[in-house]
Amino acid sequence: MRTAYNRFRMSLTPQRILSVLFIIGLGYLVIVPLFLMLRETFIVHPLERFQIPGSQVGELTLAHWKRTLFSENAYAFFYHPLLNTLKIAFGMSFLALAIGALLAWLVVRTDMPMKGFIANAAIIPYIMPSWTLALAWITLFKNERIGGDQGIFSALTGIETPDWFAYGTFPIIITLSLHYFPFGFMLIGGALRNIDAQLEESAELLGASRPTILRRIVMPLALPAIFSTFLLTFSRGLGTFGTPAFLGGPVREFVLSTSLYANLIGQRPGIGYIAAVAMILLGVLVLYMDHKIIGTRRSFVTISGKGARAGLVALGRWRWVIAAGVVIFILGTIVVPICALAIDTVMLRPGIYAWENFTWHYWIGDASLNIGLGTGEPGILRNSQLMSALGNTMKLAVVVAVVTGILGILVGYAIVRMRGNWISQALDQMSFLPYLMPSIALGAIFLAMFAVPRGPIPSLHGSFLLLVIVCTVSYLPYAVKAGVSAMRQIGPELEEAALMAGASWWTRMRRVMIPVQKSTYFSGMLLPFISVTRELSLLILLVTPATQLATTITLRYTDRGWYPYTNGMVLLLIIIVVTSTVISRRVMGTNIAKGLGG
Amino acid sequence: MPAIVLDGVSRLYGSNVRAVSDLSLEIPDGSFTTLLGPSGCGKTTTLRMIAGLDSPTYGTIRIGDKIAFSLEDATSLPPSKRGLGLVFQSYALWPHLTVAKNISFGLEVQKVGKAEIAQRLEKVAAALQIDQLLGRYTSELSGGQQQRVAIARVLIMEPSVLLLDEPLSNLDATLRMDMRAELKRLHNDTGATILYVTHDQLEALTMSTHIALLQNGELQQFAPPLDVYAQPANEFAADFLGNPRINLIEGRIEGGRILCGGLDLPLPDGVSSGESGPVKLGLRAEELRLHRQAGPGMVPVQVTSVLPTGSDWYYQVRLNAQTITIRQNDPPHLKEGEEVFLAAHPDTLKLFATSGKALVSSVPEVAGAEA
Repeated sequence: MRTAYNRFRMSLTPQRILSVLFIIGLGYLVIVPLFLMLRETFIVHPLERFQIPGSQVGELTLAHWKRTLFSENAYAFFYHPLLNTLKIAFGMSFLALAIGALLAWLVVRTDMPMKGFIANAAIIPYIMPSWTLALAWITLFKNERIGGDQGIFSALTGIETPDWFAYGTFPIIITLSLHYFPFGFMLIGGALRNIDAQLEESAELLGASRPTILRRIVMPLALPAIFSTFLLTFSRGLGTFGTPAFLGGPVREFVLSTSLYANLIGQRPGIGYIAAVAMILLGVLVLYMDHKIIGTRRSFVTISGKGARAGLVALGRWRWVIAAGVVIFILGTIVVPICALAIDTVMLRPGIYAWENFTWHYWIGDASLNIGLGTGEPGILRNSQLMSALGNTMKLAVVVAVVTGILGILVGYAIVRMRGNWISQALDQMSFLPYLMPSIALGAIFLAMFAVPRGPIPSLHGSFLLLVIVCTVSYLPYAVKAGVSAMRQIGPELEEAALMAGASWWTRMRRVMIPVQKSTYFSGMLLPFISVTRELSLLILLVTPATQLATTITLRYTDRGWYPYTNGMVLLLIIIVVTSTVISRRVMGTNIAKGLGG
Repeated sequence: MPAIVLDGVSRLYGSNVRAVSDLSLEIPDGSFTTLLGPSGCGKTTTLRMIAGLDSPTYGTIRIGDKIAFSLEDATSLPPSKRGLGLVFQSYALWPHLTVAKNISFGLEVQKVGKAEIAQRLEKVAAALQIDQLLGRYTSELSGGQQQRVAIARVLIMEPSVLLLDEPLSNLDATLRMDMRAELKRLHNDTGATILYVTHDQLEALTMSTHIALLQNGELQQFAPPLDVYAQPANEFAADFLGNPRINLIEGRIEGGRILCGGLDLPLPDGVSSGESGPVKLGLRAEELRLHRQAGPGMVPVQVTSVLPTGSDWYYQVRLNAQTITIRQNDPPHLKEGEEVFLAAHPDTLKLFATSGKALVSSVPEVAGAEA
């Protein structure tokens, strides 16, 4: 009995205590929201009292589920958005995978020229906010029937774009796959690079032709990477909000995330939360497939190559033509949207693309109700509201990057050091949970959780702190993943050597563990930084006029049709994100692919 | 006073995996003791428990006059308070620090003055001949140089016991020979107790003053290396030490003689002549000889392979449906297929009961446990 007590007392190391504190904290911020979300689908909300006859606010009810799944409106509420979501997720995953895999093969396995430039440029579409392309699509292809003004394309050619081309599922699939193809490029490229050249050389010695080697050796070995790319892209497609909001909104084509938002800010939060639960279930399904299909075979891609690089496929006289095609395609996905957005910000009256219409009004003009759109707003650079939103975004991005970065290191440390222990498993799984929660729903739950004081926790509504917390929780899976992989690379001896020398835990972290993997940690911080600058769905419900962000204010301006302001803000964000990515790569040696959740 | 005393130490993982099982051991002060055994035998776990990086599930560890770990007293000294230095298998040099910073890290952490650090650094660097490397980063060093830096980093703390975890396993063969001699010299120069972990029996035999042989977490034998070699406590000990491996031949004791595939040997002292039954006879390769002419006590055999190494000739013959290895370093040089005669000249007879235990009890089976 006494030895059992002693054993317990002696096991209370600072690391262990810290880990248990993490578990409690994560439990409150991750598990509790999950349960609250589920509970919300069964209770009557204030606005729903009148829709459900004879009910009291707060009562338990099955009405939401019945209405969502079985009522005459069920198709509009649920099944149609669900079908749209699946259609979009499948369509854009296939397209993005095809583009990414082809590019990866061209860069890694052929003698195509300009590889260095292509490899660097191919990542940029992913760095830009995903809905940049959506806004650019609208600017280029919108038609008069719905948007009021013409897009650049119609103005130049005189051809009116059909609705299905200008809005809805088709452009959503196209723009999302142009945003997400870098996933496949990075992951499949990495897998192709890691295939041991000797495997191909032995096939060649046995008389296999190049196409046979590609089909029978390279493809099967790269298959796990191809599958995991597909599932990763697919799960992003399930949860995406900005693009379907911009492109689907005008024609009332909803996906689960936009229908969730519409129901939450409308009068049907119960139905909104059911959409959230449906999204979580789809996420779990993807995880399950990932586990079933890839789980055992993931090790294929970790075969590390030794010896000479396999011979590159000669493209012959087509190599320059192909390279030119690839460069045009990639620049097309970067330069064309940026130019379209830029042109739109300097056209005084929308839809008229002529030199006489050129203006700097939307950038530096005075507030006016007569010029151009007559918004009564000063130009972007002189607009204190917009500039303070941009300032908030930057502040939030830096704070969240640092907080999640540090948390990722500490949680990753606890997970790796306590491997085999229940603490490690609990932390590992809990820190992954936010990955499954649609960010719009996470935002809604945090709004509910922190709107009123609860126990020792004061009301955080409208505070900057709440934004930091929700972003930290949302990006935790990526940060922890980066932290875990960094800690795994270090191995325990480096820390134990410092422990033997008498260094305290804090000294060990500060002088050994963190400096050793500096660039990995900064890569882990870069992703949250970039994500915050373009975060929309997570924060849209949580911001107040005082904490308005660049993205959320942008959506507001879009609602009013003030596209020049929206597009100008997006341009500023792109400039900030791309510059900070390039700088951090130069200075800290960070690599965006490292922080990417595989 | 012994430098380190382990008393009934066990380490369990989960409820039924025993990495170390009821280990009692007294490591003499000033000795070069080797924890020897195959991988997974618990030697590294034992070392880590002594270092304080792992904790025993049961048992007590004393280092010098201090209790380092005791569950009853709820005592677990932190590693740095145990007066030990540990050289890791991977060396665990910090890649972001220079050699000088690596070595002086411990003193800096202990807030030793700059002047003293510089002085001690100079001394230890000179002793290990790495004074030219102090400004470099560890990735710019060769394996042997990294090894020296790792040892210097530990020696600068002036530990009373030096723990070495397979420090030579990452070096190539020639460097390993040099480092063996150097570690032995280090032991003589510093007079510190060295506890050395390895799976390489040759390292254990060449360097140590004592060998603690472990298998499946249990101590098999604790004795000076040549004693373990000459008088192994059991079949495992006989088999693990020596290269080539000892020939273990099935035989019987009958009528006061040992009969073994045609070999006929007298019973050693300490085995009663009344005993009879199946035994295993352990004969080392150098204790056997092949002759072209027959003689008393010899068995006719055929040479199946000839493996010259330059200085020695290894021959293999078939006896009792077993392959037997013989080492000779003088003529006759035999050829494959030759019909010859095998004679045994054991220095000490190694006889094992069917349980694997040595029959000759001149050596206490587990010396450390009784002390």
